[in-house]
This record gives sequence, C-alpha cells and structure tokens, in this order.
Amino acid sequence: MRKASKSFLWASMLLMVLSTIALFFYVRWLLEKEVEEELFSAEARIENALLAGQHPSSLAPIIEINEVDELKTAFTKDTVIFDPSQDEMELFRELSTYKSINSKSYKISVRVLVVETNQILWAIILSYMVIILLVFVFQFYLNKSNNKKIWNPFFHNLEQMKKFSLLSKEPLQLLDSEILEFSELNKEISQLTGKVRDDYENLKQYTEDVSHELQTPLAIIQAKIENIINGQSVTEIQFNQLASIQKDIQRLTQLNKRLALLTKLENHQFTHRASIDITHLIAQIISNFNEISTISLTYEKTSNIMANMDPYLAEILCNNIISNAIKHSSHGKPINIEAKNMVLSVYNYGATSIANPQQLFTRFYRENKEFKSTGLGLAIVKKICDLYGYDITYAYIKEHHCFSIDFGSTTSTMKLSS
Amino acid sequence: MKLLIAEDEISLQQSIVTYLERDGNVCECASNYEEAIYKVSLYDYDVIILDVNLVTGSGLEVLKHLKKEKKKTGVIIISANNSLSDKLEGLDLGADDYITKPFHLAELNSRIKAVLRRGKFGGDENIVFNEIRVDTGAKSAYVLDKPLTLTRKEYDLLLFFITNKNRILSKEIIAEHLWGDNSDLADNFDFIYVHINNLRKKLTSEGAKYIKTAYGSGYKFTEE
Repeated sequence: MRKASKSFLWASMLLMVLSTIALFFYVRWLLEKEVEEELFSAEARIENALLAGQHPSSLAPIIEINEVDELKTAFTKDTVIFDPSQDEMELFRELSTYKSINSKSYKISVRVLVVETNQILWAIILSYMVIILLVFVFQFYLNKSNNKKIWNPFFHNLEQMKKFSLLSKEPLQLLDSEILEFSELNKEISQLTGKVRDDYENLKQYTEDVSHELQTPLAIIQAKIENIINGQSVTEIQFNQLASIQKDIQRLTQLNKRLALLTKLENHQFTHRASIDITHLIAQIISNFNEISTISLTYEKTSNIMANMDPYLAEILCNNIISNAIKHSSHGKPINIEAKNMVLSVYNYGATSIANPQQLFTRFYRENKEFKSTGLGLAIVKKICDLYGYDITYAYIKEHHCFSIDFGSTTSTMKLSS
Repeated sequence: MKLLIAEDEISLQQSIVTYLERDGNVCECASNYEEAIYKVSLYDYDVIILDVNLVTGSGLEVLKHLKKEKKKTGVIIISANNSLSDKLEGLDLGADDYITKPFHLAELNSRIKAVLRRGKFGGDENIVFNEIRVDTGAKSAYVLDKPLTLTRKEYDLLLFFITNKNRILSKEIIAEHLWGDNSDLADNFDFIYVHINNLRKKLTSEGAKYIKTAYGSGYKFTEE
C-alpha cells in the first residue's frame, strides 16, 4: 500500500515535469502569437487612420509614428524600454513597419507589454504544484479509506492464516470479499487448508490404525512361539532363536506403544489434570528401578515439586527421563537426581558430550547405536513437556549429561506446537 | 476349570486353547459376538477371556450381558487398544483384569489363576506346590510351613513360576512379567539372573530344588 502511494507520487512528479515543459512552450508560443496578432491589428488600424488623413498622436511607448526618409522592411523585435507609468524597465514586443501613405513615408512602431518567460514558468510550476498537492492529498485519503474497505478482508484472512494450526478442528473463518481475486484466493486457501488438514488427519489415523492393527498379529506370533517352546521337539539352538524372536517382538511392541502414545499426545487426548507430587513420584520410580538395575541412584531433594498434569503422563515423563539416564550411563557410574526450585535434574556420567544435542529430542535419533532402544523415550519426554509448557534443557557439565525439566515454567495455556 | 475364550482371531484363539488345555483346563471357544452371547447364556464358566473387538460386536456388550445375568464368572478382557480409558471402562463394567495385545500366554495364565484365587467360588488364597505354599493374601511363601524371606520381586517370581509350572519360561517372558515396560532395561544388565539365582538359592537351601534351567537360557519350575 505504501509502495503504491510512493510510486504514484513519483509518476506524478515525472508527469508534472514533462507537462510543465510542454505547457511552458505551448503557452509561450500562444502568447507570442497573440501578441503578434495584436501588434499587426494595431498597426493596421493606425495605417487606416493615416490613410483617412487623420494623424493619430504618438503614445510612447505603445505607439510611435514618425515620418522617415526612406522605407525599410518591417521587423519585429523584443526590446526593453523604461516604462514611466510602471517606473521600471519592462519587456516589450515591438513591430515596426515602414509605410508610404499619402506620399509620405512613415515608420509605425507599436509595442505591447509581454509577459516575461520566467514569469510564465513560475506560474505554471506553482499552479501545478498546488494541483498535484491537492490531488495527492485527496487521493491519499480516498485510497486509504477505499483500501481499508477493500483490503480489510484480506488482512483479516491473513491473520487467520497466521493462526492456522493443524491441531484445531475448526475450519478457517475467511471473510468474503467483493474483489474477484480475493474471493478466488479465499477459495484456494480454503481448499488448500482443507486438503492439508485431511492429509494430516489421514496420516494421524494411519499411525493410530497401524499401531492398533499390529497388535493382533504380534499377539498371534508371540502365542505361537510360546506353544512351540513348550512343545516336545525343540533344540537348544531353536530355543535361543525363538527367545531372540520374542525379544524382537517385545521391541516392536514397545515401539508400537510409544508411537501410539506420541500420536495421542499430538492429538491432545490427555485432558485430565491433577496435582502431582513429582518429588514423591520420583522417589517411587527410583525404588522401582533399584529392583531392576545395579546402578545406584542418588536422590537429592531440597524442595518439593508440584505439577498440575495428567498422572499417567507424569509417570511416563519421570520414568522415561530416569530410564534414559540408566540406559546411557556408562561404566555403572551412579546417577544423580536432583529436585530443586521446581527444577528436576537428572545427571549421568558420559565420557564425551553429545554430538548433536539439538537432535536429542527427535524421534528415532540415537546417539549410540549400541543400545537397542526404541529411540522414542526422549521424544515422548519432550512432547509431554511441550504439552504443559515445561522447559526441558540438556547440558554437558563436568563429564555428565544433564537433563533438566523446569516445572515452574508452565504456561497457563497449552502450547499448540505440533 | 472351564474356560471360554471369546476371540475372533482363530490363530490366537487356538494358541490360547493349546496353552491352557495343557493344564487340564476345559476350553470352549467363541469366534464372534453372537456365539459368545449364546455360550455365555447357556453355560457357566469359571473364567471368560474376552476380546473387546469381536467381529460382529463389542466384547464389552458381552460383559454387560454377563453382569445383567448376575453370573459369577471371572472376566479377563483382551484388547488391542492400550488406552487407559478402554481399560477403565472394562474394569468399571466389572471385568476382573485387563490385558493388552500382544501378551505372553504365561502372563495370561497367571492372570487367570489370580482371578480364580480372588475367589468368586470361594477360591483358596493359598497355592500349594508340594512342600511350598504361597499365601497370596499375605504375600508370603512357606516351605514346609517355614516362612521364606523373599523380596517383593522374588515373591512375584515364585508366584509366576508356580502358576506356570512345568512350562518353559524364557528370560524375556520373566523380565516382562516382573518389569513390564521397563523390561528393556533389564536386558542391559541381566539383572534378572540375580533375582532368579537368589530365589533358587533360598528355595534350594530349604530343599526345594524346582527351578531348573532349560535350553541354557530358559527356566522351568518342575519337580521332574
């Protein structure tokens, strides 16, 4: 819009300069012609008067009649003469003719005050400037009010598009416009967003369906393996292979469960909220892990952390962050868990820092291929934190990997990050 | 024991039957909703294993029907859906337990036994295997009435072994029973051996040598 007014201004400036030049020459030519005509008609009138025997008196500097000895050719010229009535030097256009009337030779000079060139120029420029200024001001306000009316739906729709999220179910509320291009644009936007949303829904549904549909075949495979193991003729090699298949089925099951959980998190299917004592929950989880792993877990709590969240998600969050530390703790070094000022930190030993910390929370990112993890644990942690607006940070401090979740950074509204 | 397996996937249904019949249970099958309703109305079962998604209808409807008829049958729901709301709905309707696909047959078996113990037919809280007695009410175990000092995991392990006696249990099945979703952690540390060995030592010292190694990495609780 601003650009449009600017280019309008430039264009009118250019036009003004060009037309000023044209007008200047035209007006000058017009004036000269007029003056000449006037001079000739005055001269003719004087001539007629002389023919009629009258002798019009000279009226310097406008009319001068002198008797001369010889006839010369007529000429016109510009001359500057002192005008006593104006009391200044003025520019006159002069026509001098030599006529022989009644056997007497006369020199008839008629003069007309002419407008000076620079005066013409100034007059033109000045009037132009006034006109342009008026037009511009008028145009500006007219455009502004017009634009407001015309562009209003556009800007409204732009805002709508900025707010567009795949997660909200409502369609875009686009304002209709009388402008053809805008209504076409609206149509396209509606179609596009509709398609994007449909595709997204399909994809989501697909993920859900796949994880759902996989369960039954997995159950069948697992059940059959158990019956084979308990059958009569199984060799030790076969048993070990079957046990290994069981392990893989278990991995697949875990993967499936976690993918389903991620999908549910993305679909915002967890709406239940309760006040959870995170410090207490961590203590429980630690005691559970102590039964599984030989790695020692130290727990240091200086203050209680309370969180308002889904109890099921709270458990998954705490469980995942600690089990991640256990999985990646090298050399059986202890794991330190700290609850302080609404921040839960988990430290585990690591000889080197993580190569791509920015990818830590990405699905299926594995820093180390050594572990047969699903690669979804931290992605789930991140998703849960995002859901409630908790800040989660990773740092490598003194040969320790440190994950911190700030339960105090919660935002009142759920973040709609996708 | 008389069991009804209401499961529309025939492969799975037959595998469950094979596993459970080995214990001398009588298993009947229903492959769709109508068959399930029909059998439930006609006969009495000790436990019904009920798939939520029966081709022609919902297993939960069968459950409602059962409750309406006031049948004293134990119900274990099988679902392909891991969602909490499904689980809660099933349990609210009066199911005794809920298990998500895929599951281990040994796990299903031990759940069935647990449902029976909780006793709608005056089930006994004590499980006896020769000289070993497990009191599931008090969560304690005895050898010849001499109490064994067991940790929580060791007690769970013993119970799992006894309910699946004479079955070969791979390390994976045991790990999943004891640690559920965290069983992948046990994999890294083979911590499972520690628990099994501790339990075995405690039993052996009382003369109960029933935990046998099978095929090198599996286990079997048997008196053979």
